[in-house]
Amino acid sequence: MHTSLDDKEITRELWQSRLPICFILSDEDKSKINRSESPEPLYLMLARQSYFPCIIEKLHRYYSTYFKENLNDTTNYVNFANLWLEYESIPLKWHYPIGVLYDLYTSSLSSTSSYLPWQITVHLSKFPESEIIRFLDKESIEAHYMSTVKEADALKHKGQIIGDMQKRDHKQLWNSLLQDKYDGFWNINNKLMSYTENLQYFRYIPFRIYILDKPFIQKLFSPYDIDEEKWMTLNDLLHFVLNHEVQCEQLTNEKKILNTNINDYQVIIHGIQPSLQTPIQWLSEYFSYPDNFLHICLIEKRS
Amino acid sequence: MSTVEDDGDTNSIRFGPSNDSEGGSKVVFLLKAAGGAPILKKKKWALPRTKTIGHIVEFLKKYMHLDTQQQQQLFLYVNQAFSPALDTTIGSVNDCFSSEGTLVLHYALTEAWG
Repeated sequence: MHTSLDDKEITRELWQSRLPICFILSDEDKSKINRSESPEPLYLMLARQSYFPCIIEKLHRYYSTYFKENLNDTTNYVNFANLWLEYESIPLKWHYPIGVLYDLYTSSLSSTSSYLPWQITVHLSKFPESEIIRFLDKESIEAHYMSTVKEADALKHKGQIIGDMQKRDHKQLWNSLLQDKYDGFWNINNKLMSYTENLQYFRYIPFRIYILDKPFIQKLFSPYDIDEEKWMTLNDLLHFVLNHEVQCEQLTNEKKILNTNINDYQVIIHGIQPSLQTPIQWLSEYFSYPDNFLHICLIEKRS
Repeated sequence: MSTVEDDGDTNSIRFGPSNDSEGGSKVVFLLKAAGGAPILKKKKWALPRTKTIGHIVEFLKKYMHLDTQQQQQLFLYVNQAFSPALDTTIGSVNDCFSSEGTLVLHYALTEAWG
């Protein structure tokens, strides 16, 4: 696998990519404010690779100034533990990276309009318990993040590398992500991107495929075909995943079967469509999110 | 031969036979106690692929009569190493982490491998 110094620069660019987001309070919650003016929209530039719970304190602080009187008012009570975010009637999952949510929910829209800043509605009531899980502080999202990194290492290296690391290295990964410290992050992450057992690649690639209205798809896939002596590409991975998933759907008599024609989808990672001929080992090393997973959105093209 | 128990809850897990007669549409998994959690009589379970880890957690909390007042938590672990997000399907956990046709999940009341 031939790589160059330039490839490393790609990880820095991805690290620095941001999304301009405009948070607007829901109409229902606006009506609970006693003051004469309603909150201005809140504009934030957020890292694609980060998570919404990382800025939840900011949201609490911003809206609590407007709801001061409601915190003790039993008839008009506002509890910030019930804060949730919504885009076009879809409650946003707290534990997905921000970039994944944006790519999944805005890519199917017409490309002639601009969808930036990304307009998200803030709700302070009626938390949709059946649709999203609560991750309302940094500690719970940190636990989720570390678990995901461990899962990725289980796939790549049977968990050997993460298992051999000190607790302080785990902490450094998360804190670097929180504090936007690229070098601090990659000092540790480089170990997770290394090879073990005399292989020149990962045992299996950590990836998740996101298709609207379906739970994410994750399967075992090796980046190198030993018999054919060839590197597997993004196209090979998608071909395998879609066909395997359809077999599973047929076994469980699902009504709606997945379309296995890759050409009917836009394949989006970090907001762009990489060449389908890219070796998946390369994508795993350079295009993974900080949790070490490749999060791939498949957006159906309009007919 | 396996017994079929029904606690009357419409959301309860239906146990299929422990062989493969479901044609592979159900995921078979073993539940093992960790961190001092109570041991279950029934250790082998089967669920459709699309059920989530969260569904299993909620079921076990009721089945084990965990104190909802005290908001007792239940943690599920794979490979005795990580805890998948609650919206992960048991199908994808099985596809990636089962061994010789069986998936082993450890459950604990404390963060055993936090």
